[in-house]
Amino acid sequence: MAIVNLKEKTIQVKIVYCGPGRSGKTTNLEYIYNWLLKTQGQTTSKLTSINTKGDRTLFFDFFPINLGKIAGFELKIQLYTTPGQVKYESTRRLVLKGVDGVVFVADSLLSRQEANIESFQNLIDDLEYHQINLDDVILTFQWNKRDLDENMIPLTSVEDMEAQLNSTLKAQSFPSSAITGMNVLKTVRHLSKKTMEAVIEKTVSKL
Amino acid sequence: MDTVIDEKSAKKIEAVLEKFLDESGATYALLTDLGGNLLFKSGEEDIDGDTLAVLSAANYAATKEIATLINKENFSLLFHRGDNENIHFAKIAQDVLMIILFKPYLSLGLLRLKISDIQEELSDLLGP
Repeated sequence: MAIVNLKEKTIQVKIVYCGPGRSGKTTNLEYIYNWLLKTQGQTTSKLTSINTKGDRTLFFDFFPINLGKIAGFELKIQLYTTPGQVKYESTRRLVLKGVDGVVFVADSLLSRQEANIESFQNLIDDLEYHQINLDDVILTFQWNKRDLDENMIPLTSVEDMEAQLNSTLKAQSFPSSAITGMNVLKTVRHLSKKTMEAVIEKTVSKL
Repeated sequence: MDTVIDEKSAKKIEAVLEKFLDESGATYALLTDLGGNLLFKSGEEDIDGDTLAVLSAANYAATKEIATLINKENFSLLFHRGDNENIHFAKIAQDVLMIILFKPYLSLGLLRLKISDIQEELSDLLGP
């Protein structure tokens, strides 16, 4: 649910990184945050993480980004991750409230195929809990951990991952490596642009 | 459903918040939706409003879940006491939280009274 403030001339949207546990959601956010720090110096907010003692996401990671201006409106994006572990269903649902765009970070490890499918079904259920259809949000897939291919670790092929998760949806997808940064920025740029376009179409263009 | 805040309502809400701070003596007031989107903020404190809005909405939602778990509809008071600053969370409209920072020497009861005075006005301005 985007917020458009006509006095402050701001549009604010919420993008959430979902996916199974240890698929690389937090690593995505950390890469983006560190890249912003390195290239733009001080960011507006620090990366907020609510973790367990073992450094697994308990509630969410969060930071906001200012994207600059379009048609006089300042564009703001709130980036979140959800906890991937199945047992954190209640907190995951809370994070998805009012979401505008979703990056589903799927784990390319061969052994995690079932976990990807289960997590994607959880996402659909969690959205339904908020009366949101998958069609109502802008969705992008990331086939993460592709760098492990070089280490001879068995991975699910991109074609199989597409077939398992994206065969009917045909959403934009990127093979990625959150740890090396491959396609991390491309994913967030693509989804931010598409989400903003959808929000502007629904709100500002109708004023 | 996206929320569009028109200029006239925004000015009125900001005026209500400034008046509230003047009259109550609180340091800072912030409005966020339950999804953690910062709507309005007022006050002199140099605080990262975006992050405060997100964490407050999460805190409120988690507390509400705890209430449900123990068969309560919700807790009537959500408040943290600090050495130098207190923070109070109040749901003032269907989807909107008001977060107030105030010094420990201010009376919590009086503050809650002041919140209830402006609750209806803010709720009307924020719409359904």
